[in-house]
Amino acid sequence: MLSKLNKGADWLIRLSALIGTVGLVVEVAVILVDVIGRFFGSPLRGAQDLTQMGMVIIVFGGMALCDKLNGHVNVDLFEGSMPRWMIRAGDIASTLIGIAIFAGIAWTTWSSISLMRFQLGVVQKTNIIDLQFDWFKGAIIVLCLITVIGMIFKLIAQVFGPATLEETA
Amino acid sequence: MSPETIGLVGMVILFVLLGLRIPVAFAMFAVGFVGNMILNSPQAAMSQLASDAFSLAASAELVVVPLFILMGNVATETGMSRKLYDAAYAWIGALRGGLASATVFACGGFAALSGSSVASALTIGRVSLSEMDRFNYDNRLSTGVVAAGGTLGILIPPSTGFVIYALLTQESIGRLFLAGVLPGLLLLTMFILTIQIITWLKPEMGPKGPKTTFAEKLRSTTGAAPILLVIVLTIGGIYTGVFSPGEAAAVGAGLVMLFGVLQRQLTFAKFWKAARESVVTTATVMLILISAYMIKTFLALSHIPQALGAYLETLAIPVLGVLAIMLAIYLILGCFLEGFAMMVLSMPIFFPVVQQLGIDPIWFGVLVVLTLEMGLISPPVGLNVFIVKSVAPNVSLGRMFRGVAPFWVAMLITLIILVAFPQISLILPNTMIN
Repeated sequence: MLSKLNKGADWLIRLSALIGTVGLVVEVAVILVDVIGRFFGSPLRGAQDLTQMGMVIIVFGGMALCDKLNGHVNVDLFEGSMPRWMIRAGDIASTLIGIAIFAGIAWTTWSSISLMRFQLGVVQKTNIIDLQFDWFKGAIIVLCLITVIGMIFKLIAQVFGPATLEETA
Repeated sequence: MSPETIGLVGMVILFVLLGLRIPVAFAMFAVGFVGNMILNSPQAAMSQLASDAFSLAASAELVVVPLFILMGNVATETGMSRKLYDAAYAWIGALRGGLASATVFACGGFAALSGSSVASALTIGRVSLSEMDRFNYDNRLSTGVVAAGGTLGILIPPSTGFVIYALLTQESIGRLFLAGVLPGLLLLTMFILTIQIITWLKPEMGPKGPKTTFAEKLRSTTGAAPILLVIVLTIGGIYTGVFSPGEAAAVGAGLVMLFGVLQRQLTFAKFWKAARESVVTTATVMLILISAYMIKTFLALSHIPQALGAYLETLAIPVLGVLAIMLAIYLILGCFLEGFAMMVLSMPIFFPVVQQLGIDPIWFGVLVVLTLEMGLISPPVGLNVFIVKSVAPNVSLGRMFRGVAPFWVAMLITLIILVAFPQISLILPNTMIN
């Protein structure tokens, strides 16, 4: 059961990275079309809007895979002199903090949508082609939740994984 | 407890978390967020989180980050580094220490494509170390030159170091990029001089390479021409105001892809790998930035930067003295902390002092980035040296650090020159068009 769920989480993480990567390709294309179009006197209308909102997808699309690959920068200066239990405790603490961060971003972003749209009735849009911020805030929520799911599975592996068995043995 | 005390306690907790190997972004985020909750209010902290996460991710200026990373990754995948090295090798390889000098030139050229020191050291190291080995170069010189040459990656634009600095200090990315050009070239020259001095004193450390004919020189230069074109177009485009930095990055990435396809070096699989890696690196950088904004607010609320500035004023030290102290702190911290971590941790404290003292922020940015580079080759955690170790596993770390020492001295001299002559950093940004 757990392994099936783990595979599901991996699939979500890959999907999230795929969305981010497609976002990057689109971003390059939009700017190039805009620059070339400007050279010929007809820049792409709303290129700035698309570029800015595309960045949201790129940034949060890569978060889940970044965590899965342990891509975050850390200071491992004292790692050699730390007992194994402390290293493991640090890893577990990192994952817990990570879960709190991404759940926090998802929650506060949802709160911001709910306040602006549902309570104040304000729909924030980009300046030129009226892209609604809420669509992209929604994407942040979904991509953060995928990151949280990936981290929960990582946490389960850290707590109940082979290291524990080795230590108890 | 006073805000200052809370701020100091927060910083102590931050360093404890970092010592426990908690990722820098996570540790800064946790301390910054909790600190904001205490010094302001939980609602204010939550609201800042929502607004910073969205507004930073949707920042038009930050487009340069994924696009320049993509440009560097595609250049790596398509073997452009090899062509740069071949061109430099053909022209100067036959001189004493020529292969080492060619390595520095290739690092400088690759730096103008990638913006990452680690990528420069790794990519050029893979190409050049075996060649220097073949011609019996002393491995202290060969590994030292790759580790040091790689550091040019964050000084010569495009530079992720400058992008991070720009965002933390609200300075112009374009001006910072231009400010890095001449110091980058100066540093490159200093590295070449260092190689010449080393091989003049001990010629056996860097024997002459094979002579090449003029036709070979021309052929290798033609091979590197597309890369040189990309560099001239991106940096020249920013300087002349034809492109914004973000547009220059897209044009550079587009051209590198185009040349890769035309030369049949870029397959879809390679492109996809490069793009995916760019997205992951962007996520890493962006989370650090979001966290940096959290801790920046916390430190501002704690009044620590203001207190530090006021304290320095009472000491009546001249501005240059304060600058020297800050740079010395960076040099010491660079021995223990990763460069980005050091910058995002220190800037909220140091930058208000820099502003208070009237130090030019662009000039300061160049000096800070140079000290970060020095940290990359300083023991015990000189990241670039470890990267070179992964390419040359048979050379001991001790020999590598000894090999890199003369280049560290060359960087220190460059730093002193840049402090003495701010114009070197400022002339290009001050004369840039638009």
